[in-house]
Amino acid sequence: MSILEIQNVSKSFGRFKAVDKVSFTVQAGQIHGLLGPNGAGKTTTIRMIMNIILPDEGHIRLFGQAMNEELKTKIGYLPEERGIYPKMRVRELLVFLGELHGISRSLARLKSQQWLQKLEIGHTENKKVEELSKGMQQKLQFIGTILHDPELLILDEPFSGLDPVNVNLLKDIMLDFKAQGKAIVFSTHMMDAAERLCDEIVMIDHGKKVLDGSLSAIKNQYGKDAIHIEYKGDGNYLKKADIIHKLDDYGNYAELELKEGVSLNAFFSDAIKHLEVIKIDTRKSSLNEIFISLAGEGEDHE
Amino acid sequence: MNKIWIILKREYRESVFKKSFIIITLLTPLIMIGLSVLPTLLMFLSSEKTERIDVIDQSHSVYNELTVNLKDTLKNKKPKFIFKQVFVGNKPFDRLLSQEQALIENEQIDGLLFIPSTVEDSGKVEYYSKNVADLSLNHELRNAIRKIVMNHRIVKSGLDPRMVQKLIRPVEMKTVKIVKGGRAEERGFIQEYFSTFIFVMILYFTLIMYGASIMRSVVQEKTSRVIEVLLSGSTPFQLMTGKIIGQGLVGFTQYLIWAVFGIGLILFGSSSLPGVSQYLNFSPMTFVYFVIFFILGYFLFSTLYAAVGAVSNNDQEAQQMSMPIILLLIVPIIFNGYIVKSPDSSLSVFLSIFPTFSPIIMFARINLSNPPIWQIVSSILLLVLTILFSIWIVARIYRVGILMYGKRPTLPEIMKWLKN
Repeated sequence: MSILEIQNVSKSFGRFKAVDKVSFTVQAGQIHGLLGPNGAGKTTTIRMIMNIILPDEGHIRLFGQAMNEELKTKIGYLPEERGIYPKMRVRELLVFLGELHGISRSLARLKSQQWLQKLEIGHTENKKVEELSKGMQQKLQFIGTILHDPELLILDEPFSGLDPVNVNLLKDIMLDFKAQGKAIVFSTHMMDAAERLCDEIVMIDHGKKVLDGSLSAIKNQYGKDAIHIEYKGDGNYLKKADIIHKLDDYGNYAELELKEGVSLNAFFSDAIKHLEVIKIDTRKSSLNEIFISLAGEGEDHE
Repeated sequence: MNKIWIILKREYRESVFKKSFIIITLLTPLIMIGLSVLPTLLMFLSSEKTERIDVIDQSHSVYNELTVNLKDTLKNKKPKFIFKQVFVGNKPFDRLLSQEQALIENEQIDGLLFIPSTVEDSGKVEYYSKNVADLSLNHELRNAIRKIVMNHRIVKSGLDPRMVQKLIRPVEMKTVKIVKGGRAEERGFIQEYFSTFIFVMILYFTLIMYGASIMRSVVQEKTSRVIEVLLSGSTPFQLMTGKIIGQGLVGFTQYLIWAVFGIGLILFGSSSLPGVSQYLNFSPMTFVYFVIFFILGYFLFSTLYAAVGAVSNNDQEAQQMSMPIILLLIVPIIFNGYIVKSPDSSLSVFLSIFPTFSPIIMFARINLSNPPIWQIVSSILLLVLTILFSIWIVARIYRVGILMYGKRPTLPEIMKWLKN
């Protein structure tokens, strides 16, 4: 049984179509990336999953049912807009959030202690939220999201504003949850983070789904062999060379694709006539490149 | 229900243990007590001084009687007035006057009373002092002299002063209020107005105070973006209901504390403050109606305030948008004087049944006259219906409003939210 099923869901705000016929399913034991640039419709989709806003059309089923109060206790939701009561004490806030998601007061107290220790902010227990640093508040809110041990985690940009150490801490918890057979919806615009964590991916752009499937399948299907080249000299050569199909030039670094039938050797021997090549390698294109190419194509059609 | 309870509990705990709540709750009765005790206290303080007054009595008929009549003593048993008669002799009058003035300036005496020889015809005396604004002193002196001079006039015209006193004794009218069950109570306009006014003002201020605190709390949840976290575990309706009931209980706690203070004041303070307790003489029914109308009014206005909070982005905006609500509460205050004068006119009846005014005006009418029971019942019934209707509407506004950031919605937009 799929944990989350979204079918042909659309939502408009006035004339602006925020989400346009998006469908995907999320299975247990998987991290499902919801990707797209800022303003693509990720947060709107998530708010519809959480029943905070109602879709204009389409169906959303969680654990095989329509959203109801019971289900909310099985879901942990970390909104993109972070917010916690600034005047409350840390422990009271966590106990409140735990109770709100259906666990008892004593269990909430116990769990919050454990998680505060684990995320290395155990000493803040009796402080007021407003006395904590921004990063600590982020972690605090993350604890509030997972305190009731949800079956489905919905994380909207969970890493924004965190330093690398804390990103790792959160990432490990996410992987733990996955290992326990729970489902995670992970929304982000940072493709490289998604590339490292996700099993499945949905990409949306301008409210429309542009891509859907397992990460490996997508990379096989859309990923091309890309050439990364570090160079010195006049980059204009790269723009003019007719053996190059696609170019992403950064001045002294470029990512490019060759035209079909052109070998790496041929490009290399041509390139060294015009540029001083410092480093060159080939790899499968990144999720970021796949996204840019797909989103770009989408715009061409319109 | 469970969720509402959890939200309500948090709301209550966070408000009641807040410093500002504790301070306001304790300070208000202290200020009230201070305001009612202070004037009495000041009166005691001011009378603690002996007035040394020189008297120039050119009529030669007032001084002796004055010293006999004004024999009041202070608390410390000293006389309140010490009079000393000063004779003009053969000195020029102006010289004497400037001498006395110098004495007053050096604070060797407190005042100079000049009684001209023509006092019985002209009816005029003069009093010189550094402080001529001591109303009670002026009053006392003037009354004493007036009485003496009047008596002289009466005697001169051959009548008996006691007879005249008897003839010109004024008539006093006692006003008696007929209350339910044919019971009669001795009450007057001042008592009526005062007791109604106190209750009405308490209603008015607390409805605004608690309503505005709900509004601020909604705005705060919006601006701190905590709302989405709350919605992940509850519905907007639960959120709104929990908040309104929670804040309502906070208000009740405050009332309870004040009521204890108030009852204590009446029980223990009435001996020292007889003037106050006669105004605070209410029947238990008044109190029951007060509680009923407070609860109903609270539910009506707090839902309206919650709606305003939900569509505002910050406190200032909410403040501006709550003006229409405050207007709904001010109208009954403006009409209060009219209601006291004619509690059973058709306008009063209409206002007391109209839902947004009824909490205050129907309560005032019940306090003032005995409106027929059908009017009370229909007023309460209409109010309950209005509350249910506004909760239904506000829940919709709330649901959409709490997630709208940035731009304040226009009225047509709000109307559209109501439709879907």
